[in-house]
Amino acid sequence: MTSRPSHIGANVARVEDDRLLSGGARFVADVSLPGMLEAAFYRSPLPHALIEAVDTDEALQVSGVAGAFTAEDMTDVSPFPDFDQRARPVAIFPLARDKVRYVGAPIAVVVAPDRYEAEDARDLLTVDLEPLDPVVSVDEALAADAPLLFGEWPDNIVIEAPVANPEAMAEFEGRVTVSGRYEVGRHAGVPMETRGVAAEYRDGRLTVWTSTQFPHIARTMLSYCLPLDETDIRVIAPDVGGGFGVKAEFYPEEVTIPWLAMRLGRPVRWIEDRREHLIAACHARDLVLDLEAAVDGDGRFRAVRGMAIQDLGSAEMYPYGFSPAFTAVGHITGPYRIPHQSVGVIAVATNKTPCGAYRGFGIPEAAFAMERLMDKAADHLGIDRRQIRRRNLIGPDDLPYTTSAGAIVDSGSHREAFEETVRLTSERLDRWRARLADDPHVRLGSGVVNYIEGVTPTYYFTSGHWTSFDSCTIRMNPDGTALVSVGVSTSGQGLESMLTSLAAEALGVRRDQVRVVMGDTDRTPYGLGSWGSRSTNVASGALREASSLLLEKATRIAAHLMEASPDDIEVYGGRFNVRGSPGMSVTWQQVATTANIRTIDLPEDVKPGLEAAATYDPPGIEHNPDQYGRLNSSATYTNASHGAVVSVDVGTGKVRVLDYIVGHDCGTVINPQIVRGQVVGGIAQGIGGALLEKLHYDEWGNPLSTSFLDYHLPTTTEIPNMVVRHFESPAPAMPWGAKGAGEAGIIGPAPAIAAAIEEALSDLGVAEITRTPITAPDVLSLVFSGGGQEHPG
Amino acid sequence: MKPVPEPTRRLPLSMTVNGRPIELMVDARKLLADVLREDLGLTGTHIGCEQGVCGACTVLVDGRPVRSCIMLGVQADGCDVTTVEGITPREGLNPMQQAFKDHHGLQCGFCTPGFLMTLAGVTPQEFPDEESIRELLSGNLCRCTGYEGIVVAVMAAWGRDR
Repeated sequence: MTSRPSHIGANVARVEDDRLLSGGARFVADVSLPGMLEAAFYRSPLPHALIEAVDTDEALQVSGVAGAFTAEDMTDVSPFPDFDQRARPVAIFPLARDKVRYVGAPIAVVVAPDRYEAEDARDLLTVDLEPLDPVVSVDEALAADAPLLFGEWPDNIVIEAPVANPEAMAEFEGRVTVSGRYEVGRHAGVPMETRGVAAEYRDGRLTVWTSTQFPHIARTMLSYCLPLDETDIRVIAPDVGGGFGVKAEFYPEEVTIPWLAMRLGRPVRWIEDRREHLIAACHARDLVLDLEAAVDGDGRFRAVRGMAIQDLGSAEMYPYGFSPAFTAVGHITGPYRIPHQSVGVIAVATNKTPCGAYRGFGIPEAAFAMERLMDKAADHLGIDRRQIRRRNLIGPDDLPYTTSAGAIVDSGSHREAFEETVRLTSERLDRWRARLADDPHVRLGSGVVNYIEGVTPTYYFTSGHWTSFDSCTIRMNPDGTALVSVGVSTSGQGLESMLTSLAAEALGVRRDQVRVVMGDTDRTPYGLGSWGSRSTNVASGALREASSLLLEKATRIAAHLMEASPDDIEVYGGRFNVRGSPGMSVTWQQVATTANIRTIDLPEDVKPGLEAAATYDPPGIEHNPDQYGRLNSSATYTNASHGAVVSVDVGTGKVRVLDYIVGHDCGTVINPQIVRGQVVGGIAQGIGGALLEKLHYDEWGNPLSTSFLDYHLPTTTEIPNMVVRHFESPAPAMPWGAKGAGEAGIIGPAPAIAAAIEEALSDLGVAEITRTPITAPDVLSLVFSGGGQEHPG
Repeated sequence: MKPVPEPTRRLPLSMTVNGRPIELMVDARKLLADVLREDLGLTGTHIGCEQGVCGACTVLVDGRPVRSCIMLGVQADGCDVTTVEGITPREGLNPMQQAFKDHHGLQCGFCTPGFLMTLAGVTPQEFPDEESIRELLSGNLCRCTGYEGIVVAVMAAWGRDR
């Protein structure tokens, strides 16, 4: 290796920040066009019903109302294709046809000059619904006499993929077994910016602004659903106010609003309100992992078997809501040497908001289950909870290690990160013990957990259609500045800044000579967007390839201008320098001006122009599992250890996270501040999911969490300061050795906090914590009963 | 019997916004946030919940932080309103904005104007330490940062030791 490149590993200022800080950013709600109308949706008030009739007459009498529409009007619209042959077809249609399957399902839409008037008219619609018995839980859905959500199916199972791996089963003979049923509750990404879509149809072309994480996929989906060629559709993701997976779904409204713009010949906008967001944007988690492990007497795990049971809600979500369950199975053994697994998946439709993606995507669920099971095994065998992990963790000599799920862990600092996290967690716990020794109500405890996260995964497993590549085009302007356009798309992570640094690095120019363009299908090459902690890997791979093509051509031009050999040219400091001839150089500007303007100075065999395009498909990713569900789903794997120190008030049940410690390894760190921000932000969301956040339903399927007053996001007072230690185990096959960092933080908090609460209450003989969120009433019932975690409602 | 009069649909609104006097007719029911964003084009004020909880829409009314999503525009009649555009210098950033930038106090930036306006409407001396600053900011939700960068930025801008 040569010395470390200058832009990598440096805390450089983000290029996005000035516009975001000054009010100069442009979110979809800020898109305003002459004559623009606003839409309001009529959403189902019932969880399960037949649509008998929709009467729009009265609504249409309201002055200014431009139209009121139902599915019957959308005769030129096709349903979303059902790509995945393993799953039963759902045929999502932009407005509900015949039937609604969750409270919040869009039935009709009204368009008026502004949102106030649109809602007035919307409230004048007469919608006749025939209620059907709702199905609100997996057990209800699987009952023999269950009402069917999809009448053409024999039951409510969307997908069932049982696994019976004889090698795993054999391990259970004669061994100690430990089992548990671990449930991660229904919560969601809840970005501060809700969803929103604006559309204009003009001159035969449709332009759609949407708050999405994947504009190119959105465009392709639009071309499947609307009677338009893909080249006549332009999708723009402007500044996106947080995504977290919620905006890596393609939604019915993303078809309806463009369709309205075409139908009415006027621009139309819809900005989701928060109530809509909490019932109609995707929910997530709601996954049960029912597991059993075969364990040797010394605590070594030999095999794990069981089922992932997913409550999908209505299943009307694309990409598929069941994919996190498969991802959970793919990560079930975490960073532990557990030779065999046999874990299947069943995903079931219920009359609740459909589940989809949320940061972590099944891995938080897997980590919660495995780490809880490991704690249980330790307690059962009388082994210290830290010690049992040491006996199972993969070490440097094991690498590369193929997990029982088929994941090829190429690198990592699994043991080192764990030991450092254990050390720091103990230190912090001791400090708090000294500080809070006199408080009789407060008990202290700590928990340390481990996980690996597959980053840059296949999308085939999630979409049944797209795979894994991405792309980059670099155009050198005559003045030596670079326009870098990529298929990934930012929602606040700092991708513009990261790619600016990498482009400057690769081209040997200053950062202020680079402009990164993303989120516009007319201005960027095809790509799959940003999700799955993929952007750093795929965009940097494509960028490095495009830079290399560009440099090869530029070097030949530079050599010709200086009458030197291309082999003697070195690029640094924004110049092409001749090796061994100090002072002999030309600038990027001279080279780019020659290529684009003064082409008479080009070498004879070099064509004009200075632009390069490249794609990158990360090596090693498998797209289809084997018969036991195994595959190497991801380009590389990060690792981390999390330690939580908590106080539990035995009088009120209040849990405070006092300190949070992370040993985090995402390979080469490109910008430490941005990586830390991703880790810390993810942990905050994880703490929310562990202690506060739940999307409640009543027994009839009515959503109860429809505002921020009853869906509790963590605030400044619930999130502690964090200790983050970076370890750097470069990914051998990835550009610059980097691994994605977007999702890691959210995976550890639930099991770490659960373990810490148990430790804090250990002298009370409380039962195992098996469910999240762990709310204050849950903790109190643990305290009072000395066992049994009861969830009210 | 006297007929019930039709409610007044539109009302005159006269206020000062970011130092400029403004006169306009608005729908009586229109929220201040919508007046600022749509009638005046000041889109730096963001609407995150329309329930007065998340704080993204915070602006200053007569110097005090207010949730512009639960205040009618006409209620600001005669008031002095300041938005994020009004605290931004013509060139560059103000010291608090700069501190947010320096300490990674923002990611997607959607909630950021609300935090900045909450901070712009208080007397820093009343918030001497991290605990009081966290308490001050507990009415503004951020989903990206985990608040760390925001708290660090405020501590730095106000010269507090960490």
